[in-house]
Amino acid sequence: MTNLNNLSVAGSGGWETAVEMAVCEKCDHRYLIPANGPQAVCPSCFRGALTRLPGDGATVQPELVLPFKVQEQTILQAIGRFTSDLWFAPADLTPGNIRARLQRVYLPVWLVDGKVQSQWQAEAGYNYEVVSHQNRYEDYGGGWTEKKVKETRIRWEPRLGRLERTYQNIAAPALEQPHALFQKVGQYPYEAAQPYSVQALTDASSPWAVGLPEREPQDAWADALPVFQAAAADECRKACGADHLREFKWQPDFKSQNWTLLLLPLFTSYYLDDDRIPQVVLLHGQTGKLFGVRRASRQSAQKTAVWLGVFSLLLIVLSLIGSGFSLLAPVLLPLMAIGWLLAIGLGAGALVPFLMVWWTNSR
Amino acid sequence: MFPKIFPPEGYVAAPSKIAGIEVFQPAAQKAPETERVQTFTCPSCGATTSYNISEATLKCSHCGYSDATQVRQVGTQAKENEFTVETLENAARGWGEDRSELVCQNCGAHSTIGVGSLTHTCAFCGSNKVIQQAADQDDLRPRFLAPFRVTEKECSNLAQTWLGSSWMTPESLTKLIKLSTFSAVYLPYWTFDSTTRAKWKAEVGHSESESYYDSDEKAWKTRMKTVWRWESGQIQLDIDDLLVPGTARLSALHLGKIGDFDLEKLVVYEPRLLAGMQAHGYDLTLESAWEQARQQMREQTRDACRNQASTSNIRNFSMSLDFADEVWRYILLPVFLAAYTYEGKLFQVLVNGQTGKISGQRPVDWTKVWLAIAALLAPGILISLIGLITIPLFGSGVVIGGFGFFLLVVGVVISIVIGVQANAMGQA
Repeated sequence: MTNLNNLSVAGSGGWETAVEMAVCEKCDHRYLIPANGPQAVCPSCFRGALTRLPGDGATVQPELVLPFKVQEQTILQAIGRFTSDLWFAPADLTPGNIRARLQRVYLPVWLVDGKVQSQWQAEAGYNYEVVSHQNRYEDYGGGWTEKKVKETRIRWEPRLGRLERTYQNIAAPALEQPHALFQKVGQYPYEAAQPYSVQALTDASSPWAVGLPEREPQDAWADALPVFQAAAADECRKACGADHLREFKWQPDFKSQNWTLLLLPLFTSYYLDDDRIPQVVLLHGQTGKLFGVRRASRQSAQKTAVWLGVFSLLLIVLSLIGSGFSLLAPVLLPLMAIGWLLAIGLGAGALVPFLMVWWTNSR
Repeated sequence: MFPKIFPPEGYVAAPSKIAGIEVFQPAAQKAPETERVQTFTCPSCGATTSYNISEATLKCSHCGYSDATQVRQVGTQAKENEFTVETLENAARGWGEDRSELVCQNCGAHSTIGVGSLTHTCAFCGSNKVIQQAADQDDLRPRFLAPFRVTEKECSNLAQTWLGSSWMTPESLTKLIKLSTFSAVYLPYWTFDSTTRAKWKAEVGHSESESYYDSDEKAWKTRMKTVWRWESGQIQLDIDDLLVPGTARLSALHLGKIGDFDLEKLVVYEPRLLAGMQAHGYDLTLESAWEQARQQMREQTRDACRNQASTSNIRNFSMSLDFADEVWRYILLPVFLAAYTYEGKLFQVLVNGQTGKISGQRPVDWTKVWLAIAALLAPGILISLIGLITIPLFGSGVVIGGFGFFLLVVGVVISIVIGVQANAMGQA
């Protein structure tokens, strides 16, 4: 059914700028980065440096790109919302840090062109209208009243035939788990993609990297097949002049497949938690939707707890002294009682920061 | 799954709106070519052939030749059509010209046939013809019919028995009138199927007893009172094969009385089934017939909703009703028609050509009827008078008077029934 022998992979000249392959020492993600550029940190994990690989490798050619479109104001608002309202936030979690560390990353999606020959058969549905009636009866409302209505129904008829068509830019995932990513930052409107130009990479001053596919074309082919079928079914429906199509079956023979890339824009950044581990923050390059895990800081909670403990201790000491004096001046007794209560309260309250941190981080 | 030879048998090329995609669709089943006017003559001797009811074949009355080809029985599985916008527009257009000229292919005579006529017997040579009327849409030609099962002889016998079966008819009727000449006619009928879905609500009255203190009699008593409660419900009725006559030229009353045709006996229309008989196309359009059918369906549904209430004491009843899955058929059904004159007046008789059920007009001997009514009322009046007279003389006069009054009431009720029946006998 599927003939992959004619699969072709383009060389690296299509990027219109010098690029090199690099791999992260820590997470093994592979990227294309500017050739001869400064040492780059991995934009996926921010824990390891990108090690350049010798030669330009067999890279694929970019064909379409969704450009970065989100406004600076939107970025700042998203980051502001992310960093605010977090009790005992790590010291490194500040809007300035997140903004300063933003990197531009392009995520890859496979695009495949293919010429297909096939027999096909389906049921074509044609809309037609029928006239029906709605009635109302009331004993004291003049009896029956009637209203004519039109309803649309579908007439199904068998159709079959042959097709010889070329379908271009059928998208298939190039990443291992794209759905997890899209669930975090939202979907990308593929239909708004534009032809690739080098300005997409070099326009902004911030560093950029292009993620390389994690799946080979032959692995992505299984995802592309249903999209080819849907495109063919839609064309057959139009060819029949039908309003609907169902039970579409075909026996396709694919030829002349050409694999290129669609690039999706994503900002990545990070902040350091208590253990100095980078916590990655993602931001959709078109909508500005932000995703990141907010971890509360144990150290910050500890500081607060220590201060509460110190105050509590101070109050205990004062209350003790006051209690002694209250033996002579009983009027001081209520004050001392309040003091004791406050001291116990503050002492118990010293646990609260730890509980809050545990609660935040466990979610 | 996919054919080895392309395109497969039974498929023809269809226009494709996209280059590079071929489309094939099932070939339309061609109806056998039939001439507009088919003449039925015997292939053996050339005499006229006609459909023989008792043998259910096309038969030559001269040499005995019969065409034994089987008809295709479809029953209630006969194809039904939907009320598409296009169908209703075409049905409203009707047949077009009032009359058309027919040239007999047997003898060359020119005849004029009326609008809606499906058959014709040449007045000059007697040959039987069946006319395929040009309708704007194929669905508006008769596609199915129920063949005659009752023969002319059986029909005559039934009619003669029926003529003398009522005591209200004149004595001389059966002696003077011999109902022997019936016309076998295929009448146009529409059948309608629909599902009606209704929601209703109403106030329903329930009788409850309540105790009350009668201050005059200084005692507790009970009495019945009506308590009104709102109730609601839903109904779904599936109404199949509701028949509406497609002609307004005959009495709707009598057509309704003979109208329980067995539609399981419907067969596919073939012109030879009409040879030698009269047949007419519809003169009541699809839309008018559907309106009549809808009225009947509405009333059926309304009755069903009212029956769903917990009692029959209902007020402020309201309902909403939707029709769904509406379909129709245009068929021909067999009816025998006859007319007779008695004392200068014309009376019509209809016989169901399938079941033999008979209905029609009969003259009423009003003298007999009035005498019967008088005989029914007289005892009651007499005994009541006797009772009234004897009340002052004997106490038992009340009993006698009461009994007389009872007889009078019974007599009045029966007299009314007889009067209504007598009146209905002569109705058209």
